[in-house]
Order: sequence, then structure tokens, then C-alpha cells
Amino acid sequence: MPHSTQLRKERTATCTPASSPRVRVARKHHLLVRITHWLNIPLLLGLIVSGISIYWASPVYRHNPDPQTGSSDYLADVGLWICAHLPGGHDCASRPDWIYNHISLGPSTLAPALRLHWCCTYLFMLNGLAYLAGILWSGEWRALLPRLSDARGALKMAAYYAGTPLAILRREPRKPPRQTTKYNPLQRLAYFSIPVAGVLSVLTGWAIHKPMQLSWLAAIFGGFDSARVWHFWLMWIFVLFVIPHVILVFADGWDTLRSMITGWSRRVESGGQANES
Amino acid sequence: MNRDAAFRERPAGIVEVAPEAWHRRTRRDFLVFGASALGVFAVGRAWRREGWLANKTLRFDDDVAEALYSPSRLVPTYTKSQITSLKNNYNGATPGPGYIPAWRLTLDGLSSGLAVSLDVHTLLTHHQIHDQITRTVCVEGWSAIAWWAGLKFNDLLQSYPPVSEAKWARLESSVNLDSYGNPDPYFVSVDLPTARHPQTLLATHFNGQPLTVEHGAPLRLVVPVKLGLKNIKAITRITYMKDEPKDYWAERGYSRYDGI
Repeated sequence: MPHSTQLRKERTATCTPASSPRVRVARKHHLLVRITHWLNIPLLLGLIVSGISIYWASPVYRHNPDPQTGSSDYLADVGLWICAHLPGGHDCASRPDWIYNHISLGPSTLAPALRLHWCCTYLFMLNGLAYLAGILWSGEWRALLPRLSDARGALKMAAYYAGTPLAILRREPRKPPRQTTKYNPLQRLAYFSIPVAGVLSVLTGWAIHKPMQLSWLAAIFGGFDSARVWHFWLMWIFVLFVIPHVILVFADGWDTLRSMITGWSRRVESGGQANES
Repeated sequence: MNRDAAFRERPAGIVEVAPEAWHRRTRRDFLVFGASALGVFAVGRAWRREGWLANKTLRFDDDVAEALYSPSRLVPTYTKSQITSLKNNYNGATPGPGYIPAWRLTLDGLSSGLAVSLDVHTLLTHHQIHDQITRTVCVEGWSAIAWWAGLKFNDLLQSYPPVSEAKWARLESSVNLDSYGNPDPYFVSVDLPTARHPQTLLATHFNGQPLTVEHGAPLRLVVPVKLGLKNIKAITRITYMKDEPKDYWAERGYSRYDGI
């Protein structure tokens, strides 16, 4: 652990009075894990906004053109709905394209969207490999493996999270389920699934990108057309993960966010890893 | 037992450190990460302003596609019951059928040094006709399965060999109007290894019938190892050349190789 030896050196090098209390910190995230974690934000953002622009060129979910709106794309219909219900949204410019105007590079931007998508794709794959190297090198992968008992534990944890806002409103004291591992069962499930979804996104992406040279890959996902559908829904897994992920990190406190930057956590006891052995 | 232990979570490394050292380290890490975030943000802005990164991406992705291509790897073929409808996705106006009777195919850049002009009858009587049911994949994301018949591009290359240093074919079309009916020449580049692929056809028939004007009568390229946009309709001229020719969609920001 080069990281911790360096910290130890700094500790000995610092001339602190013997009476000064020491800070106990636990190693939490390898440098590669932290870097790749944050790089996922621009990369996934680039992939999603360009991906929706690419989707615009040939939407998967379509219906007969609506005589009133002229839209034949369910995703555009969602934009129409948002315009109709957003305060002050009644005069949205180019109403059917609200989604594409706001969460993509815009309609009719297929060529730049493809370029951005591919650039982000290659970087996303490199990023994924660096992440894997990080969790393998540091041994952190062990803390991410789901366990057989996790199904129940994850439900318990989800129930705890779901009940917390009400408990705060009622000012009831509330204790999370006891935890003796680095991550709770729900975290393990999420942090294990997201890299799997990343791998599947890359594989379905290549199945769409090279359906002839990699026709065996497209066949695994049911052919070119259905690999597109897989690819589309895999994107939503990332979106659905990010929302509670961000909420919970802020709810959990400063230490969790800081540890993803510095790599160290001051929650030495509550993590309880030290007790486990 | 030992195997279980290999997968079991290990206790975290705990270190005792002086508060000053801890704060200094934390501050340093925040500064480094913050500066890096600004750097990434700057790259994101440069992407929009400067084209070089986007062009590098296109080039790199084309190189990957070319590396994946194998002249002997065949694309999947389908049965007649799997045929789907294929829309005419040409972005301009399709001309009337008036050009068909006088249509000729001109070949240039041949080893003979002469240009050759052929009509459909000559093409069909001097080459074997092949049927194939393959998938066409559009850059927009849709795909269609269609039944094509025609001669192999490779057979034409055999009967009218290009100059020995030729690496590319430039194909031009008589479907060359924009959506207002104004001239908008359509041309594509095809590398000769792809032109020689056994499933690259110069098709004359679509779903058992002679090609209609919508689908590129009287002769069109069917190249299932490329995106649909390379499948140029109503070919009027094929020029073999050493250097990469221009490509209609590459000029509009799409990739130039388009191998799939």
C-alpha cells in the first residue's frame, strides 16, 4: 500500500506535539477508482446527449403521426407533455422537439452526434479498463461482490431509505440496519450492477456499430434491431442509478463525498471492517 | 475454504495520522481534482470549437472498422420470409425514369488506359447473376432485409481490370437532385478490398423485379459490409484511382470508410 506508507511518512515528518490527537483514517478508494469514477460524469453525459440525438434520426418507439402535433415519436410526445405541463411551457419553441432541444445535441445533428458518441465510447472503454485495474489491484473488488444473503438485506436497506424522509419530518430518531462491511447490501447490488451495465452497453454498442463484422455479437442480443433496443434501455439504467446515487451521497454526508476525492474515510469504526476479521 | 477466503472482503487499512498532515493531503487532493475537472471542462468546450479531435475520432474509428474487415468473412443471409420493406431514403428528389433507356455505365481508370461505356444488356449477358438476401443498415439506425440480384462487383473488376496502383473506386450517380429538384451530385468512395468482397453486388433486381427508379434503376451498388449510404443508386460512372476519392457524406461530417 504505497498510499498509506506515504501518509505514515508525512505523519512522522510532521513535528506535532505528542499530546495532539491523531486522526484515524481508513483507506477506501484506490486512485484509479476515484479518477475513473469522476470521468464517468462527462463521458456518460456526452454519451447520453449524443445518443439521444442519434435516437432522433430513427426512433425505436413510434406510432402513426398524430394529426394534431405531427409527431410520430413517443419520446417527442414526452417533450410535448412536458411543454404542456411545465409552468410557462405553453409557448415552447418547436414543441415536438423539446426533448431533443434540451437533453440532446438537438434535432438534425446526427453527424456531430455520432462523432461525439464514438469519441466518448473509446474513452469510456479505456475508463472502464482503468477502473477494473483499480479494483483488482487494490483488492476492492471483494467488497463489491454481492452475497447470497444480499437480496433480503437490499430490501431492508431500500425500506430504510424509503422511510427516512418521513422519519425526518416526524423527527423520529432512526438507525440504519447494522452493517459490518464496507458497503451495505443495496450498495453492493448497485455498484456491482453498474459496471455490468457498462459492459453490456459497450457490447450492444459494438453490435450496432459493426453488425456485419461482429454479427455473432449482434446475434447474442437478438440481431441488429434488438441490440439497438437493448442499448437504448441500458442507458436508462445509468440514468435511474444516478438519481438516487447523488441524493444518497449528499444525505450520507461529507465523508462519503470526500472519500471519493481523497481516497480516505474517517469513518473507521462505523464501516466496521476492522471488526470483521 | 481457501477459495472462500480469496473472495472474502478484507479489513480496510487503518492509519493514524497527524491532523495537519490529514488536512494538507485532503486540501491537495481537492485542488488536484478541481484543476482536473476544469481541464476536462476545457476539453469539452474545445470539442465544439475545434474540429481536430472530432476528425481524429472519425479517422480512428474508420481505422478500427478497416482492421475489423475481412475479405473472406460473409455477412448473414436471410430467407425470403424474412424480407422486410425497404424505404427510399434518398434525401433529394428522385428523377423521372426518362434517363433509363439511354443509360450507360462508364468505367475509367482501367489498366487498358481506355474508358469503357457499357449498357445494361452487355453487363448482364457477360456476367453471372447472383441472388442474395442481406440486411441493409442505415446510419440513422434502421435496417431492412431485401432480396437483391446482380453481378458481383469483383466479376466486373476481373473483366475490366483497373490500373495496377488503384486502391479506390469513385462511384457517381444519376440520382443527383436535392429536395427542391436542383442539381446535387451524389458520389461515394469505395475501397477496392470492399468492392472485391463476394457479397458486394452491382444489382439490377430488387425482390425479384427489375430495379425501380426509387431503388436505383437500372444498376445500383449493394454493399452489405458498408452503411446504407454507400449503396449508391443509378450508377453512371466508376473511376478507379490510387488516392482516396471524395465522398458525399464524408464531406458532410460522416465517416468516410463506413464499414460495419
